[in-house]
Amino acid sequence: MRVRAPAAALAAAVLVASSALAAVAFAGSHRSRPQLTVFAAASLTDVFPKIDPHGRYSFGGSNMLAAQIQQGLPADVFASANVGLPWQLHRKGLVTRPVVFTSNKLVIVLGHGNPRQIRSVQGLEKPGLRIVMAAAGVPVGDYTRKVLERLGLSDLVDKAVSQETDVREVLAKVVLGEADAGFVYATDARTVQGKVSLLGIPKSAQPQVLYAAAAVKSGRHLEAARTWIKRLLRRPAQRKLRAAGFLRIPR
Amino acid sequence: MFAAATVAFAFLLFPIVAIFARVSPGRLAAQLSHPVVTDALLLSLRTSAIAQALVLLLGTPAAYLLATRRFRGRSLAVVLVELPLVLPPAVAGIGLIAAFGRFGLLGGTLDALGVQLGLTQAAVVIAVAYVSSPFYVRQAIAAFEAVDPNLVAASRTLGAGRVRTFFRVVLPLARRGLAAGEALSFARGLGEFGATIMFAGSLQGVTQTLPLAIYAAFNVQPDGFTTALAMSALLVVVSGALLLALRVFLQWQPSRPTSRFLFAPSR
Repeated sequence: MRVRAPAAALAAAVLVASSALAAVAFAGSHRSRPQLTVFAAASLTDVFPKIDPHGRYSFGGSNMLAAQIQQGLPADVFASANVGLPWQLHRKGLVTRPVVFTSNKLVIVLGHGNPRQIRSVQGLEKPGLRIVMAAAGVPVGDYTRKVLERLGLSDLVDKAVSQETDVREVLAKVVLGEADAGFVYATDARTVQGKVSLLGIPKSAQPQVLYAAAAVKSGRHLEAARTWIKRLLRRPAQRKLRAAGFLRIPR
Repeated sequence: MFAAATVAFAFLLFPIVAIFARVSPGRLAAQLSHPVVTDALLLSLRTSAIAQALVLLLGTPAAYLLATRRFRGRSLAVVLVELPLVLPPAVAGIGLIAAFGRFGLLGGTLDALGVQLGLTQAAVVIAVAYVSSPFYVRQAIAAFEAVDPNLVAASRTLGAGRVRTFFRVVLPLARRGLAAGEALSFARGLGEFGATIMFAGSLQGVTQTLPLAIYAAFNVQPDGFTTALAMSALLVVVSGALLLALRVFLQWQPSRPTSRFLFAPSR
């Protein structure tokens, strides 16, 4: 018996640890309203739980989420930081007709206090500057390329020190000081106020950033998902989006 | 019991089979010539080679000391050396940023020296070395411990110095264990993802290793999944070959156990 004691203790420890995890994982799974699984763009990380605290969220690059939905991962709602991806899935018959629900704009985040003294977008050409952006295919990465093209700074794409998979990764690299400048949405920059400095992008170079949501047809709660998306357009949700810095849908 | 074994076997094998079943070998091979794939493969091999050289160079003496010396806090030292083995890679990534990042503990010192590690190839090497080294060191300690101290003593009494004894007696006797550990360390390093993407970022040809390229490709619509599958297949083949080579090596009995081996210094 003495030999077995450590093994039993270990087994008990593993059991306790795993059941604790399970308890946390399943807590709150009993609710009358169906709990929706929402795949949402990383830039919605802070605002969506404020709009619906009961949702189960998976935040990430919209393109990754689209790929996951295409591979059959169980989602009810897809909220993308562009219009193209949900329409792509819609044409494949995977999601309902996308609905535009908010808008955004791009800013450049710089290290706190702007230590590299960048005063304009042209200042990004400074040699040795470490710029991060999202990869092509990630909505914010595509917007970034559009901005740079309009500014005649497309060469910066090849000079980026990292091509991240979503906007929050870009933001983190600048907040942590690993990069000097990064292209993010204005709403992301607001979440780290006081930790970064901002550089505006001229209006003429701003792309049209539209967010679109669609219900996943294979989801278990299709009707609830449609309702959820409709609610995004109503005033309470719109007010929360506006409070987070998201913009009115342009006409 | 057989039923349980069958389930376990099927469970482990199924995802591997699925990788190869989803796409025809022809298409897989075609995807492999994609520059994203070749860049990632070369980068993975290069960073792994450097990281493993560091692991061998620094890990071997450390393992030898831990195996042969008895001192206060030795158990603690062993636990610390093995810790990255059980740490989630994300924790390793955060730790590396907190230590070597620009605002990390050593960040100021490194900055003063004009060195920035984050988002560079050096960061990949560090991440890979950090997460893979315990696989080697752990095995190396066991291998050195298994060397008969009488043989070492005999070598010393016959007039061989410490260094000579280490290279001519200890290393040849421990080499199987060392090789096994190194193979595992290499395989683990090749698959490193979490710490790398956090500390080194992801840039094709610079910091985007194969696992990162797989992740990036999966994110690309519409047919990135095929590219991701192709790269996954490549990693399965490489890792499998590594494991197989290790098995063969471990079962291979040298016919002349006292002959000069690869670790013997040339005269």
